[in-house]
Amino acid sequence: METEVDKEILKSSGAELLPDGRRGLRIHDWEIETVRGTILTSLGVQEWEEKLQTSHLPEMVFGENALVLKHLSSNTKIHFNAFDALAGWKQEGLPPVEVPAAAQWKFRSKPSQQVILDYDYTFTTPYCGSELIEEDKEAQVEAKANPEGKANLQWENCEDQIDLAALSLKEPILFYDEVVLYEDELADNGVSLLTVKVRVMPSSWFLLLRFWLRVDGVLMRLRETRMHYVFGKGETPTVLRESCCREATFQSLSAKGYPVDLAVYSDPSSISQRLPVIKKTTQKLKIPRKV
Amino acid sequence: MSDLDHLIEQLKRCEPLKESEVKALCLKAMEILVEESNVQRVDAPVTICGDIHGQFYDMKELFKVGGDCPQTNYLFLGDFVDRGFYSVETFLLLLALKVRYPDRITLIRGNHESRQITQVYGFYDECLRKYGSVNVWRYCTDIFDYLSLSALVENKIFCVHGGLSPAIMTLDQIRAIDRKQEVPHDGAMCDLLWSDPEDIVDGWGLSPRGAGFLFGGSVVTSFNHSNNIDYICRAHQLVMDGYKWMFNNQIVTVWSAPNYCYRCGNVAAILELDENLNREFRVFEAAPQESRGALAKKPAPDYFL
Repeated sequence: METEVDKEILKSSGAELLPDGRRGLRIHDWEIETVRGTILTSLGVQEWEEKLQTSHLPEMVFGENALVLKHLSSNTKIHFNAFDALAGWKQEGLPPVEVPAAAQWKFRSKPSQQVILDYDYTFTTPYCGSELIEEDKEAQVEAKANPEGKANLQWENCEDQIDLAALSLKEPILFYDEVVLYEDELADNGVSLLTVKVRVMPSSWFLLLRFWLRVDGVLMRLRETRMHYVFGKGETPTVLRESCCREATFQSLSAKGYPVDLAVYSDPSSISQRLPVIKKTTQKLKIPRKV
Repeated sequence: MSDLDHLIEQLKRCEPLKESEVKALCLKAMEILVEESNVQRVDAPVTICGDIHGQFYDMKELFKVGGDCPQTNYLFLGDFVDRGFYSVETFLLLLALKVRYPDRITLIRGNHESRQITQVYGFYDECLRKYGSVNVWRYCTDIFDYLSLSALVENKIFCVHGGLSPAIMTLDQIRAIDRKQEVPHDGAMCDLLWSDPEDIVDGWGLSPRGAGFLFGGSVVTSFNHSNNIDYICRAHQLVMDGYKWMFNNQIVTVWSAPNYCYRCGNVAAILELDENLNREFRVFEAAPQESRGALAKKPAPDYFL
């Protein structure tokens, strides 16, 4: 376990840790677990490249890493993994971002035959999590691919806001963990990092999926998805989700008088407010009754 | 026991040197490195090592597997610093061994041996944290400018940190580079330290970043043929199994930082060449947790919002 949690607090919150060295806990009809492994082996890379139909993957893909939140009585599963995130990257297919040295390179003498690669090497993804209803132990059906007539999971736009005041209360944290899904050093031109972290308190669970991109001297991009679920509130269990995209160029930050020293931009949490919001959505997911 | 041997013993315990000792060591190293060629000749047997990135305790595992210097003759392909926790001790130990046994260890320059890169990826901050000033960073980065750009083992194996350059056809063109400078943003010297082999191009490719060359199989074939070499040995890219052949065994990547960044879980490798250039890859894992000075941090619960 990551944290030494007081057994009494766990018990009084109706929570129990997962057995057999698994990381996570069961609490109020939810099972919340993180899974970790190594980066993909060369064989794994090959398989993923084929499945995703690409010849480029991030340098470090933690293929087994995951955060899984399972609503036990409805078999609803919300989960986070690198594969689905990379499928999102492939689909979005943003044009590449040129690094500062590119300006100089345009004047270089070129080899007679040169192929210019044009995939999105930043691995920017619109991913904000995966969800499905596990039909039973044998057949796991992706919610999106559900044939008609079966229960479907649908995020609906809403006006509700995540209750940050409640989340600011220093309730005991019963479970906390953070896993990396993928990471790339952009060949030492910055960082591309997708992580998800979770904390479970006696009253709710809360998670943050964060895609953080810094192309040194060019731009920063922060795409964050937060989910919050309050235990035992209302008749229909509802997960609230806020997604927020922020982006700024170093040039625009400099124009606003902010420093452009790279050392300042190593921690996305501390500088996110400086990056203007490009897009924000709030949605909720009503967890269906047992199928 | 000489003063230098004392310093080496101290560094092997991962204890940093005094600033004045670093200065003196760098001055001695400079005298040795300035004499080296841009294509430094290396005799076999030799053990070739890829990126280390400040993972001091994992480098000690490397020496356990490969044997101690000077009993084993070593060639390190650069990227000694940045990212890991012990760039200072890692680089200074290698440098002290170089000064003590100049003919038994060869250090060539990686793209991280640069003022600009070390200011972003950790070495600068580490020097500042450990010494309270940037003097040690200055001494070390000044030495980086003297590191050779490549090595040639028995005239048959060309060793470089990154790869080839469209501006370089022959080894003599590398010999003609004036290397005593910060790594430039373009040109032959930059390419040698930065470029990568790439499966999906045959000739030359340009990275989607708009800077950085990629080279394919036919480029390697023609370079090896023109320079009468058997294959190229390079580092620079994380390869999950510690080493990776490409283009029909014409180029091999060697990676020597196991469990990279203390969390990737990858194995590392070194390439042992005997006197007849027979090769054996020795694969090794990261140092066990308890042998490290500091435990890898567990994430502390955090009231993130």
